[in-house]
Amino acid sequence: MTTDAATLLFAILAVAAEAVVVGTLALWLVARRSAFARYRALVGPDGLTLAFVVAAVATGGSLYLSEVAHFTPCRLCWFQRAFMYPLVPVLGIAAWRRAVGLRTVAIPMAVIGATISAYHVLVERYPNLESNVCDPNTPCTAIWFQRFGYLTIPAMALSAFALIVTLLLLSTHQQGE
Amino acid sequence: MIVSPRQPPPRRKPLVPIVIGAIVLLGVVAVLASRGSNTHKDASGSTTGTTSASGSASVSAGAEQQPVTITGDNLPDLPATGTTDAAVGTKLAEIHGKTFAGDGLDIVADGTPKVIFFVAHWCPHCQREVPLIVDWIKQSGEPQGVGLYAVATSTTPQRPNYPPSSWLTRTGWPVPTIADDAKGTAANAVGLTGFPFFVATSGDGTVVARRSGELTVSELEQLVAAARSAGGSAP
Repeated sequence: MTTDAATLLFAILAVAAEAVVVGTLALWLVARRSAFARYRALVGPDGLTLAFVVAAVATGGSLYLSEVAHFTPCRLCWFQRAFMYPLVPVLGIAAWRRAVGLRTVAIPMAVIGATISAYHVLVERYPNLESNVCDPNTPCTAIWFQRFGYLTIPAMALSAFALIVTLLLLSTHQQGE
Repeated sequence: MIVSPRQPPPRRKPLVPIVIGAIVLLGVVAVLASRGSNTHKDASGSTTGTTSASGSASVSAGAEQQPVTITGDNLPDLPATGTTDAAVGTKLAEIHGKTFAGDGLDIVADGTPKVIFFVAHWCPHCQREVPLIVDWIKQSGEPQGVGLYAVATSTTPQRPNYPPSSWLTRTGWPVPTIADDAKGTAANAVGLTGFPFFVATSGDGTVVARRSGELTVSELEQLVAAARSAGGSAP
């Protein structure tokens, strides 16, 4: 897979993630309680496993971009990695053992990661937010690529973190809980 | 009494295999959609190909990196703000390089005070500074008695806004520009610590001032004035 194809795939997945997050939020705010309950009954039992899949795909994508596409991670990228990568084993174990209680570990991690991603997006948009000079080696201000007019690497990470939080909030012990 | 059997719960659709299948399918779609694409997306989201740059007398398409040699010692790195710059008062090494088009271009102590800009195509601060310099020169004209030069360095095809020759041409960049080599020989010679980077020298090649980061027009004019006031003595 070429870098062009990979970044397109990641961008499509990010848009899908955003659609799920916004759709869930809209359903929770607007739809009748019974409709949201049916939605939760559909997604909730697989919530942990789906969150694990999202973390695994995001981690794989992150490694692809640095190790295959050679997009050197900057300081803020590493901070986001520090919160995304551990989610893979944490959510993997949670899904395997049906340990919904591990949400109390995973949700704060994903929220902190999302906050860093949001800040990174702001730094990309407003480079002078941090300083008025580029680090010659690994600047956080440099936009490696942009898809669909707005999706940069930290914007995709933000989408993944937001979807993980959403899925974890929806997750239930078993069907119909 | 007849006891009706308890209704089994309705079977749920297996979401996880569906999601994984969808990701694989999207991967195939992405491969097919990007097949044959030989373009590079720049930072603004626009697509730049391998079309040649043309028009500007100062920037022409060609090799984005050219051989660079220096004669003299590298300056120490520019220290943090508020610290005395040890390079001020020392001689800048002579930089012998080429433009993007491969024409020879040297930055040497030829008796003319100079201000040298160092820019990187991927740096958003350089992307803001370059148009500012272009507008400044358009409005004020080339500064009297001071030579302006530039070095396009840290050139990396994988990074955004590549190639630098196209970028500079798009902006109408009027400054003679050396294309630095892959090792950043010219950048190392001036003790570059960040982008954009500026060096002002007197006519005999003595460093008058160095700056790092975006400058305002007023700060640029101060840099030019510092180079001019340092004199244009013969080397």
